[in-house]
Amino acid sequence: MNTTTLSRPDTPTVRHMTRDRRDDFAAVPAAVRSEWIKLRSLRSTPAILGLTVIIGLLLSLILATFVKTDPNTGEVFTVGETFIFSTWLSTVLAIVMGTLLFTSEVQHGTLPNAIAAQPARWVIVVAKATIGSCFGLAMGVAGMIAGFSGAVIGGLEAGDTSGMATTALWGLMLTSLAPVFGLGVGMIIRHSAAAASTVLVWALVIENLIQGFAPANLSRLLVFSAANGLLGIQSAGDTPETMAAALTKVQDAFLFSGYTLMILAIGTAVLYRRDPR
Amino acid sequence: MITVSALTKRYGQRVAVEDMSFDVAIGRVTGFVGPNGAGKSTTMRMMVGLTRPDFGDVRYHGISYTRLRHPARVVGSVLDAQCMHPGRTARQHLRAAAAFSRISARRVDEVLIEVGLESAADQRAGGFSLGMRQRLALAGALLGEPEVLLLDEPSNGLDPDGIRWLRNSLREFADRGGTVFVSSHLIAELAMFADDLVVVGGGKLLAAEPLQTTLARADSVVVVRTAHAAELARLLQDHAIDVDVAGDCLSAHGTTTADVSQLVFDHRIQVLEITEATRSLEEILLEMTGASTEFASSSARNFTPRTTR
Repeated sequence: MNTTTLSRPDTPTVRHMTRDRRDDFAAVPAAVRSEWIKLRSLRSTPAILGLTVIIGLLLSLILATFVKTDPNTGEVFTVGETFIFSTWLSTVLAIVMGTLLFTSEVQHGTLPNAIAAQPARWVIVVAKATIGSCFGLAMGVAGMIAGFSGAVIGGLEAGDTSGMATTALWGLMLTSLAPVFGLGVGMIIRHSAAAASTVLVWALVIENLIQGFAPANLSRLLVFSAANGLLGIQSAGDTPETMAAALTKVQDAFLFSGYTLMILAIGTAVLYRRDPR
Repeated sequence: MITVSALTKRYGQRVAVEDMSFDVAIGRVTGFVGPNGAGKSTTMRMMVGLTRPDFGDVRYHGISYTRLRHPARVVGSVLDAQCMHPGRTARQHLRAAAAFSRISARRVDEVLIEVGLESAADQRAGGFSLGMRQRLALAGALLGEPEVLLLDEPSNGLDPDGIRWLRNSLREFADRGGTVFVSSHLIAELAMFADDLVVVGGGKLLAAEPLQTTLARADSVVVVRTAHAAELARLLQDHAIDVDVAGDCLSAHGTTTADVSQLVFDHRIQVLEITEATRSLEEILLEMTGASTEFASSSARNFTPRTTR
């Protein structure tokens, strides 16, 4: 390998000035740009986006071609309601992607480099949350477009489309918050497989178990109940009692945002307390 | 000037670093040596804010690392050369690091040339050899054109040509006013380019001094093989020279071959062999750190190959 000599600045100038809070805020755009470069440079990023599209397309196509009617209500599926169905899976994928934003840094030992370069650790959290949120938004949009396309290709009727825009916006809010929630989980658990499986087990098993015995006005406060509420999705286990106790979308939005902020705050505290390995 | 003051770190009952204080001078290469478990890595992690000390601090020109406005422009560090995402190319890895520290993307190409990785710039790090990873990690440390290089075992995995390049580069970096603080197990290698040594063992500072001072701890030994060992021993002791006798072999401490030769010539003592042995830096350091070695090797427990019957 051809090599030259290592560069060295001739005159140290402002390098030794101390940092203050304004410097930390000024560092956020650079950290976001760095996170964007990191995200863009991984093959898993387009793979996750592609998976979101495939899931959206396939789910709508299957519903349109093989299921056709809602087993809960007996009504025929329409494009206006089917396009959002895959967003729940997009949300779970976005949460897993959010956990990986942090756990992959731990797994590959790159976290110390980041913290050495930016001792204000909250800057790293904000940058990751921003990029994760943007990617979650992109996943939501891609999933909905794919869901819409699958429903149209599957030959479903348009149905009532007046609420589509509002439904889409609530869904996009959810997919944007989901990676931030995942980031918080990742910062607490710090292990890719453990963090992802914790999220999946909680979403698919624990909450369903809790809903089985907890009163409706308590189970409606669970994390993924709030997510379902935002998407307006009813599950097979919903009873008239649970449907009557359901929160409004605004309440669900506040609830899920609250959970996200709480998990992120705990994760940030853990990041400050524990020395990076 | 890097000032390490009373640095202390405990993990539960175990003391990793205890009351460690030393200075690292500008424009010099300072070697950081000690056996495994001596506290070198913990100290270096504390020097870049990755591990919080229980007590004491590290200051760069009077400023704590975590208070520096542009840490990457003051200190370039490599604490683990394996730490990189295998899915990213060398260029992407450096571009992300440069963006994070608000360093121009143009600098990425410069450091890739500086470490000799320009031809592998667009290869994924997962396919890199250990030596290439070392070079990439070093490129990352150089991105901010830092005044201080803090390197933990930077020659691991480098081939002989790479080790020579690293040695010359670090030497030149220091000659141009930079400060190099480098830990290494390759003592002989370190002896070729370090100006000062910081020696640690058992989490404690054993010595912080110029390399020449450490080397001066080595007393030379003149070994003489003669049938008249007892007679020669008496003569040497008469000249206030310490002597050990074992059979027909005599070891004289704190003298030179010339002095011993003159003595045996003057007293017409026949010698069969006369040699002078000087202890290497490695031997000196082993002696200094011997009592604090956590994982000692035993010469009585050599590796034994399994033989087939």
